[in-house]
Amino acid sequence: MQSANMLLRKIVRSSVLPFAAQQRVQTDLFPLSRTLSLSLRLKQDKSCEPSEKLDLDEWKKVMKSGLQEEVSETVSEPKELSSLAAARETLEMWRLAGRAVPENISEEQLKTFMECPSKSAKKKYLKYLYLKELHKKKDKRKMDEKRERRLEAQDQASKTDDTKKSSFLCMWSSTMDKAYNWRAAQSMIFGQPLVFDMSYEKEMSVREVKNTVSQIVLSESCNRRSVDPFHIHFCNFKDDSLYHREFIKQYREAWGKLLITVTDQCYTEIFPKDKLIYLTADSPKVMKTFDHDKIYIVGSMVDRSIKTGVSLAQAKRLGLETAALPLEKYLLWSTGAKNLTLDQMMLVLLTLKDTADWKKALEFVPKRKYCGFVNKPVKELKKTLDLISTLKHGRGREEVQRQFAKSYPKK
Amino acid sequence: VQPPEKPLLAEEWNKLREDFQSPEIFEEVMLNSMIRCNSPIDVAKSLLTHLAKRNGDIAYNVLVKYLTLCVRQGQVSEICDVYDIMKVRFKIIESGAYNLLIKGLSNSDQWRMALTLLEEVKKVMIPSRTCYESCIKAASRHQEMKLAFELYDEMLAKDVVPTLDVLQSFFDFSRGMKDAELQKELFGILLYLRENQIYPHKTFMRSIKLWFESIPGGNWRGHLTNIKHSGQCPVCNHQLEDSNLTEEEYSNLSKRIIKDVIHGTDTFRKTTPQEFEAFQTFVENRLPFDIVIDGLNVSHIKPRKMQCENLFDAVNCLAKENARLLVLGRKHMLVNSSNWKREIMTEMQNKADFFFAENISEDDAFLLYATLRSGKHCKFVTRDFLRDHKACLPDSLTRHLFRKWQRGHQIVLKKCFSSVFSQQPAFCYDCVVQTTGDTWHIPYKDVFEEKYSYQVPRKWLCIQQK
Repeated sequence: MQSANMLLRKIVRSSVLPFAAQQRVQTDLFPLSRTLSLSLRLKQDKSCEPSEKLDLDEWKKVMKSGLQEEVSETVSEPKELSSLAAARETLEMWRLAGRAVPENISEEQLKTFMECPSKSAKKKYLKYLYLKELHKKKDKRKMDEKRERRLEAQDQASKTDDTKKSSFLCMWSSTMDKAYNWRAAQSMIFGQPLVFDMSYEKEMSVREVKNTVSQIVLSESCNRRSVDPFHIHFCNFKDDSLYHREFIKQYREAWGKLLITVTDQCYTEIFPKDKLIYLTADSPKVMKTFDHDKIYIVGSMVDRSIKTGVSLAQAKRLGLETAALPLEKYLLWSTGAKNLTLDQMMLVLLTLKDTADWKKALEFVPKRKYCGFVNKPVKELKKTLDLISTLKHGRGREEVQRQFAKSYPKK
Repeated sequence: VQPPEKPLLAEEWNKLREDFQSPEIFEEVMLNSMIRCNSPIDVAKSLLTHLAKRNGDIAYNVLVKYLTLCVRQGQVSEICDVYDIMKVRFKIIESGAYNLLIKGLSNSDQWRMALTLLEEVKKVMIPSRTCYESCIKAASRHQEMKLAFELYDEMLAKDVVPTLDVLQSFFDFSRGMKDAELQKELFGILLYLRENQIYPHKTFMRSIKLWFESIPGGNWRGHLTNIKHSGQCPVCNHQLEDSNLTEEEYSNLSKRIIKDVIHGTDTFRKTTPQEFEAFQTFVENRLPFDIVIDGLNVSHIKPRKMQCENLFDAVNCLAKENARLLVLGRKHMLVNSSNWKREIMTEMQNKADFFFAENISEDDAFLLYATLRSGKHCKFVTRDFLRDHKACLPDSLTRHLFRKWQRGHQIVLKKCFSSVFSQQPAFCYDCVVQTTGDTWHIPYKDVFEEKYSYQVPRKWLCIQQK
């Protein structure tokens, strides 16, 4: 009886009969076979019960009552809002409705928001701000945690108080910087030039230019850290262009001290034309080896809306040789565009320069874009593929003939 | 979570909430599942009451979710109450809630309130098309056709694209009314379909037919039919409009193609200025052609045949009755290879003019130029849908012109079982809503879904006045 009791209670608690638990009707217990009638009785109980306990519209009273004072306040306020303030209000409401909207938004961002040409553009911009805010918050939380942990560790260290003596020299970052700068300075005299073509500002949106600049900053730092850096040239660089402003934003005072060449001249004016090779994914020619005597040009452009042939057009106009990375030759490509980010490009080129090993260099292509390296030479692979397809087609042809024979039998 | 079937007391909600894995979003999740299961409104009310008692306030998103449920079940008085509460509680209401309110109220006898709400929305933003849709439908349901058309015109003026549903509702609710003004407005809708090359779907077509037939004293009769290849309607023997563009349209389109498709922002992206100039002089010296062939596209028709053989077959098939042919190709075709035999190439060059572009140039742009330059009689052959070229055109009007011209001038070669090609010839009549005053011809789609932009419906509604 006890166990049956328990079981019954369980059933009663589960969502099938949520009211039973409330009314505590377990005083008289029936064998399990009679639960059905029990539930029936419960229902009757419920209907008999006066509904005064549950005033369904009570929430309305609560919502309205709490507001009387507030309402009188708001009425006295001037109702007319400026368009900016109105937009801010709308955003606030969207945030309350649970849309992806940032909590805080600056005046400038609000203006950009209002200048968005369409509803979807507005939505996209808000989502971008929202995610940015989210990341910022997360980073801040992590920093705080880290600081706390560090403080704790320091506390413990001071307690134990044993200073370790090390025979190694501690390399501080400033020392490292000096070493790197020394190398970069050498590369400016003896290094192989690498050109970033900065003539694509018109093709890009503001956000794309920002992305481009941060990619270039990344590649510059990769280059500086490498054993044998390139001598980086920024060509077609206009003063006070969006590029320039973004670079200053990123580098601040270091912009003036960078060990690179920045010029508003075109690369064709600086270097002999026959030595230039424009790297572009649209090129019909595929790069076979890295040539240490050539000057490679990389277009500083991020195109989110894949604009094909922009950099190829530039090379055509100037009559330059072009080349594309042999991605298909070495990788089994799966998804994604063949254009790589500028920092990936830089890493690939640096590795090629140092090792001339395509496999090592193409390690820097994002893993999601390919399934694996091609082990066999492509020609052999193609042969097997052809074989497979002819086998398939061969069988297909037989089948077609059989079908044909069936539907048009000889008389 | 499964929503309860009956209103619960506060303690019961508390218990459910505690059992839920993340209690802070319990209300949202619960309301979502109520919306999904279409739970009775009382259950939701009890949850709100519980919330109000606990917090002394109800969050905006919860209210909106409750509103969704009310709208779904058409609980008009509740919708009004929620609106009142929102109105005093929040300074403004955002678009999502307005959409819901308008939708909910327009389906009730309070529909005039939806109109006032629409006015409110207009003060801050352009109302969405669902807002307009609800209001227009409500107005026409109550036979206020004038009001409905005012809203419709306003919508078009604001560049809000009406749904086919709205257009259909106009026809549905005007059935049997004798009103010259109204009739004019509805003809206006049909002309809107014509201008934007929209094809009604089957049920919409039926509404149009029924409306025509219901006009008192109009003596309109509608028949479903297929138009003959000659462009003649089998029911009324009327010849449909031909697919030719007017002189003005034609020159306009040619200009735009040269400007936006071939040159675009940068001539070097598709060709080079030298090459284009060379091509222009080549074409000018040999004008006019009858058929322009995209050599590379045609050469891939049968993958198991040699590419130059495919092209050879196609050229032979089209080179009848002294037609002047132009084949566009790339320079690599001239290099003797396994796919391109020199003998066959030279033999072909006796039968047709050839222009070979650089290997990295786009020959499609040349195809368009040569065809347009040759004049209205000239056709072109390719299996390409030319969607990317259409996309280069700046405005929808030119794009419609392009599609119309394409329908009238593109020949599609299809592979057949044996060695002959079958051709799908260009349409000689224009596939668009059209009228002569006492007849209407309306192409319609069998299914609701949008067809590909290059496809046109083959079924027609023929309406004539006896």
